[in-house]
Amino acid sequence: MPDAVEVEDVTRVFEPRKKKDERVVALDEVSLTIPEGEIHGLLGPNGAGKTTLVKILSTVLLPTSGRARVCGHDVVEETKAVRPLIGIVFGGERGLYWRLTGRQNLEYWGALYRLPPAAVRERTRTLLERVGLADRADQRVEQYSRGMKQRLHLARGLIGDAKVLFLDEPTTGMDPIAGREFRTLIGELKGEGRTILLATHDMVEAETVCDRVTLIDRGKIIATESPRSLGHVISRFQRVDVEGAPEPVLGRIAALEGVSAVTRTEDGGARIEVSEEGATAEVLRRLVDAGVTSVRTSLPSLEEVYVQLIGERGLEV
Amino acid sequence: MTRVAVTLNVMRNAFRAGLADYRAIFTWKSWLAGWYLRVIAQVAFFALIGERLEDDEKTMYLLVGNSIMIAAVVGVFSLNMTTSERGAGTLPLLVASPSSPVVVFSARGAYLAVDGALSALAALAVAGPMFGVSLPWPDVLAVVPLTGLVAVASYCFGTFLAGLVFRFRSVNNLVVVTTHVSLMAACGVNVPLSFYPEPLEWLSRLLPLTNGLLGIRGVFGGADPTTILGDAALEAAVAVAWMTVALATFNRLAARGRRDGSLEFAS
Ligand SMILES: Nc1ncnc2c1ncn2[C@@H]1O[C@H](COP(=O)(O)OP(=O)(O)O)[C@@H](O)[C@H]1O
Ligand SMILES: [Mg+2]
Repeated sequence: MPDAVEVEDVTRVFEPRKKKDERVVALDEVSLTIPEGEIHGLLGPNGAGKTTLVKILSTVLLPTSGRARVCGHDVVEETKAVRPLIGIVFGGERGLYWRLTGRQNLEYWGALYRLPPAAVRERTRTLLERVGLADRADQRVEQYSRGMKQRLHLARGLIGDAKVLFLDEPTTGMDPIAGREFRTLIGELKGEGRTILLATHDMVEAETVCDRVTLIDRGKIIATESPRSLGHVISRFQRVDVEGAPEPVLGRIAALEGVSAVTRTEDGGARIEVSEEGATAEVLRRLVDAGVTSVRTSLPSLEEVYVQLIGERGLEV
Repeated sequence: MTRVAVTLNVMRNAFRAGLADYRAIFTWKSWLAGWYLRVIAQVAFFALIGERLEDDEKTMYLLVGNSIMIAAVVGVFSLNMTTSERGAGTLPLLVASPSSPVVVFSARGAYLAVDGALSALAALAVAGPMFGVSLPWPDVLAVVPLTGLVAVASYCFGTFLAGLVFRFRSVNNLVVVTTHVSLMAACGVNVPLSFYPEPLEWLSRLLPLTNGLLGIRGVFGGADPTTILGDAALEAAVAVAWMTVALATFNRLAARGRRDGSLEFAS
């Protein structure tokens, strides 16, 4: 059975439309495989290229080079085969018909996904219940709150019974409770065997719901791993916590190549952050030589890795 | 379901969605007070010119022409549909769906053809007697399908224009108004086609109002049924032609959007 999503060396360049614009390489030889049934996070700051990749996979944008397949079907050549298999959800309030009711919106898209009328009615009913809109189903969307619109959007993405779901920042602007419910729903969708690609700049979201996470920045993939072992892979980002290390020793360690920071902790200890492979060994040797015995190494959390790799830009919304 | 059944179901739902959209804007009352009154006023304005000239034939000509013009006016409003689609941010979702955006559009705005035909006929039915124009029974019944054809053809034409000016949202209203004025001038609404040189007359026959209106004038003037049928066939052919061109335009538009990234998810 083919993987749910296969991306091979996909590059997407946006040529300038106006003279003063610059040429943008939104994706730079991106490769990625998502097996069926996986919840895959695409984590990166604004402008990283997440939406561009989602658009290419959803058949609304062509790659400049490279190939991408959904369930074995090419997203450029075999759009007829791809489109019935995918569902798209993007955050925010757009993508809905505001003058129609929630139910009318879903029934409309259900028909467009070529389901028989009876099935559309039934799916609409269960989906409205699932996203908690059953009692507001016959009100016009323009009367919905922002959160309700987003939940309707999610239901819209599910109406076609998609095998592969592309969620592009689906919780943007959702309140925390809605966000938690959303994560529960993702779990349910996984239980149904669906594959999900979740593009987000929210580390917590990626960490809590994804089986694996791909870190992307400036169009390049930095790493793909499970949220927990992402820290391992990037083991060069180790840190060493010490107690009772003499000041001069710390000063010399700080000057070592591959040591990115030495910070004092409140209890008189220090944290040494390492950003190059092999540097940790040297740090430990120096500490042991100086007779420091209270030493602990640990791996950073996904959040720390993210900040290390991408810098503070990663925290901007 | 067969492919045809599925497509018909898509169109039925799209039509229903369009209608719901329309009903959110218009109630019966606001349709009568806000729209129909304007229609009657416009038709009466031109008919009054005929009255002023104390020329019954001229009055009749202007009254029929401007009544049927209403069907074209409403049909051309389909130009706004894609603009609103763009505003709603649903276009990429439509393109990414298993159904063709054009099939969806063509059905979504079809209420305009219905509205256009009904408005035109209602104008004729009320303004006609007001100006002493007799509506010959039962011949006048033939006017109904002909008006329907004019509305559909204008709707197809508007859909084509929508695809054409799609990328230039700001000029949309200008295009609507320009199209209305051009159709009024070029399709034999106030001035007979014979007024223009012959090549222009043929060009005019490619427009969505001309042939149907000629047929309707034929009905009122007691023309030979085969002549009327000929005009009707031409009008239908014009409708099919414009819808075909509209299809091609939209397919090209979608292909171009996929290439240059103009199918935006967000803004
Ligand atoms: N249609 C477009 N035309 C020109 N540049 C674009 C277009 N879409 C995206 N970009 C650029 O490509 C880069 C990646 O954008 P995007 O994929 O939207 O990032 P993300 O979703 O991760 O925030 C950005 O620099 C953005 O400005
Ligand atoms: Mg984005």
